[in-house]
Amino acid sequence: MKRVITGNQAVAYGVILSRVDVISAYPITPQTTIVEELSELIANGRLNTRFLKVESEHSAMAALIGAATGGVRCFTATSSHGLAYMHEMLHWASGARLPIVLVNVNRAIGPPWNIWSDQSDSLSQRDTGWIQLYCENNQEVLDTILQAYRVAESVKLPVMVVLDAYVLSHTSEPVEIPTMEEVDAFLPAYCPDYPIDIQEPMAFSVITTPEYFLEFRYKIQKAMEEVPEVAKKVNDEFRSRFGRGYAAIERYGEGEAEVLLVTSGTVTSTSRTVVQKLKGNGTKIGGMKIKRFRPFPFEEIYEEIRGVRKLAVIDRNLSAGVGGIFAQELKASLYSREERPEIFSFISGLGGRDITPNLIEEAIQYTVEHPRPEEEILWLGLKK
Amino acid sequence: MSKQFQFKGASDMPMIPISLGDMDWNKTGAWRAQRPFYEDKTPPCNAACPAGNDIVAFIQKIMQEDFEGAWQVIKEENPFPGVCGRVCFHPCESKCNRGNYDAPIAIHALERFVSDFVANLNQKIGKSSGPKKGKVAIIGSGPAGMSCAYHLAKLEYEVTVFESTSSTGGILRMGIPSYRLPKKVLDREISNIEALGVVIRTGVSLGQHLTYDDLKDYRAIFIATGAHRSRSLHIPGEKSKRVLSGLDLLKKINLERKLKLGDKVAIIGGGNTAIDVARSVIRLGKKVTLLYRRSREEMPAFKDEIEEALEEGVKIRYLVNPIRIGQKDGLKRLECLRMELGEKDESGRRKPVPISHSNFFVEADHVIIAAGEEVDVSFLPKGMENKEGIVLTQRDGSTGIKGVFAGGDLTSMQRTVAHAIGSGKKAALAMDCYLQGKNMEETIRRILIGEGPSLSILRYLHPEARPMNSHVVTFEELNMDYFEPSERIRESKAPLKKRVREFGEVTSTLTETMAHEEAERCFSCGTCNECENCYVFCPDASILKTENVFSHQVDYDFCKGCGICFSECPRGAISLKEEER
Repeated sequence: MKRVITGNQAVAYGVILSRVDVISAYPITPQTTIVEELSELIANGRLNTRFLKVESEHSAMAALIGAATGGVRCFTATSSHGLAYMHEMLHWASGARLPIVLVNVNRAIGPPWNIWSDQSDSLSQRDTGWIQLYCENNQEVLDTILQAYRVAESVKLPVMVVLDAYVLSHTSEPVEIPTMEEVDAFLPAYCPDYPIDIQEPMAFSVITTPEYFLEFRYKIQKAMEEVPEVAKKVNDEFRSRFGRGYAAIERYGEGEAEVLLVTSGTVTSTSRTVVQKLKGNGTKIGGMKIKRFRPFPFEEIYEEIRGVRKLAVIDRNLSAGVGGIFAQELKASLYSREERPEIFSFISGLGGRDITPNLIEEAIQYTVEHPRPEEEILWLGLKK
Repeated sequence: MSKQFQFKGASDMPMIPISLGDMDWNKTGAWRAQRPFYEDKTPPCNAACPAGNDIVAFIQKIMQEDFEGAWQVIKEENPFPGVCGRVCFHPCESKCNRGNYDAPIAIHALERFVSDFVANLNQKIGKSSGPKKGKVAIIGSGPAGMSCAYHLAKLEYEVTVFESTSSTGGILRMGIPSYRLPKKVLDREISNIEALGVVIRTGVSLGQHLTYDDLKDYRAIFIATGAHRSRSLHIPGEKSKRVLSGLDLLKKINLERKLKLGDKVAIIGGGNTAIDVARSVIRLGKKVTLLYRRSREEMPAFKDEIEEALEEGVKIRYLVNPIRIGQKDGLKRLECLRMELGEKDESGRRKPVPISHSNFFVEADHVIIAAGEEVDVSFLPKGMENKEGIVLTQRDGSTGIKGVFAGGDLTSMQRTVAHAIGSGKKAALAMDCYLQGKNMEETIRRILIGEGPSLSILRYLHPEARPMNSHVVTFEELNMDYFEPSERIRESKAPLKKRVREFGEVTSTLTETMAHEEAERCFSCGTCNECENCYVFCPDASILKTENVFSHQVDYDFCKGCGICFSECPRGAISLKEEER
């Protein structure tokens, strides 16, 4: 069934279809309508899920940590300051290897106070041990949630599904909604490794001396390293069942591109039309969408950038003092490679400013015209 | 401690650090710096009840729909719930913490409900069968005397009550009109007391039919003869014809129901007797004007009563003081002065000051003086001192004469039914202490409700009963997160037209549903009602359910003293103290 729904409604459908047992959340714009929708369904008795009201995002995640330890499927959604407030508990969820799925609606962090789209919130949590998946449209949002539970429960790591504020969260698009039966066949019930049994008490995440701590962290890294293969299998199965799929990295545009435009989130949609428009205009331009930020898709990237001379990376985020975070990750990942394209790091669209086709074209033009960037950070649309 | 594992490396380690053993060995209670504990505290209603009722306890029983249980609780302390539920001025309600939130619990209505519910079951208080501890005499069958008789009978004394008039109940029967207290309710509660073996001898008046010598067989005596003499106004014409005292008039109406009165009746006074007289006379079809020397603010009568009197057509003229009762054309002619309010007097009320040359006249067929009552000390034995119109007693009710105790209106200016019931109970305890050679002062300290002066006979009889800290719970100590505003129940009233034609009861008893709903409004201040908030909130699962004195207890092996149970207890029934080291 196809319905015209917002990104936040797509999230709600994903959660309903995933048969989540426990939801705990605290309202924050622009996430609020997700849990509003879900809590209403629960209150009306149409969704058999336990909704825990809490006084903060920190508690929301703490509550889910308890529930997930108890062996049930959990969900929460947040944004911006709410995600920042969860920070400590995000570490706990991954350290305790709990397959919680969280939706973060990308929103700038204040001050200055701002409620519009910006990736700084989710990217500030890049070192918390969570898998991070960025979505381009509402269909991808719904489908990514279904896949996220499969991946999370397989590698025992939490997943953050990320979508842009307003551009997706509050904008309606046609979305194909799978049936419950179809999703049930794809997503089996969650089976915890260590179910709680009061007859056989155990203590979880107990203090660990230096003797073993390193090894537990090693195991988390190993689990992260399993993700590319697991996620690919899950996506392949999803594609065979539903006819759609989303790779960690997606190439579009001309095959033998010299310049590759690198984006994540909804900027990709705009980029697709720009790349299409510039086709046959001399320099071969291609596009690359990064969906999975953690674990970072090294191998997939190496595969996709063969023969590419320049990468034009548009970051809708800023790590002040360094620059765009996606560009940094790409630089770091390519350092050891013999084939190292020149990286042009553009910053644009912070705090929800539109990244227009003109701006994208400007970035491409600059990249084509310059052998290497004149500055470490290239500001797109900056009013100096 | 359980067995420890040694791992070669990551490959043989589990995914997460877990202990396969339990953590019972780790007595985290040792980390505690503060200790929560269950401790009932005194609810403000209990502390305010002059009769010493355990109000919260009986309301809890109503909440559980155990109406008979509620009666068992009340009758432990007070044999007159039907009377008190109707006529008590309910100081409990003015202290009710719920009054700071929306409206106090209608405690009087609940007490009345319990009494009437049980009456319909024909419940009787059983006669005690144990050996008698001796004979005691009580003079006066009013609320003080009968309360004393009741408790002494329960303490297994052989009790004889001497009553000077032909009927029992004292002021309850003679002074309180039946539209407030139906005679059958009084009869029912007095017969409950008689059922315990108490003998009441009516028509026996101390001094007239009975001397103190006649009473020497009795091991102790309680005198509670009340205050029956109407206070004089000391104005000319006061002793003339067609001038009556308020209490005499009430006695006539209550006992004989027949009285010849002219059409216009003027009543002087602003107390409860004046209002009772006014409302009774209205019911005889007369026109009533009440003359009071201060303003409505200062009227000592209960607010509700004044309101109802006005509803029924009683006219009240404020700031008016009669100075002479004359006669003109067959009518009484009251010469009055207009008054104004001056400085506050020793009662805390503004003192009325006459306005000179403001004389005017009020005419009436009858004049009723209801300016307060005094005690008659003429028949009292030598050795009983009296001062400022009351007989002096010790804190325990004992008088200057060994074995003779006194109470009720005779010994106090706080002349309410509830105070009288409380003083009768106190005397019963004092007499038992005196006869059993116990130290009454020490006993009083142990069984005081809150800061007193009311006493708990339950604690006297059952020292092992669940203790109650004397601290009276304040509104600030309650956790309002757990309560929602709700409306106080209203007792339905008979239609006005019906009310002014007869002496039937004005208000009606609550139904079971109404009583239950009202009881559910109770905060249960300071008293655990097993709401289980502590059990739900304890992050250490250290609240254990028990069947002991308390329904719950803290597991000190594991309680870390976070204090969440203390702060989430809606009613202040958990205390927190620093851990002693």
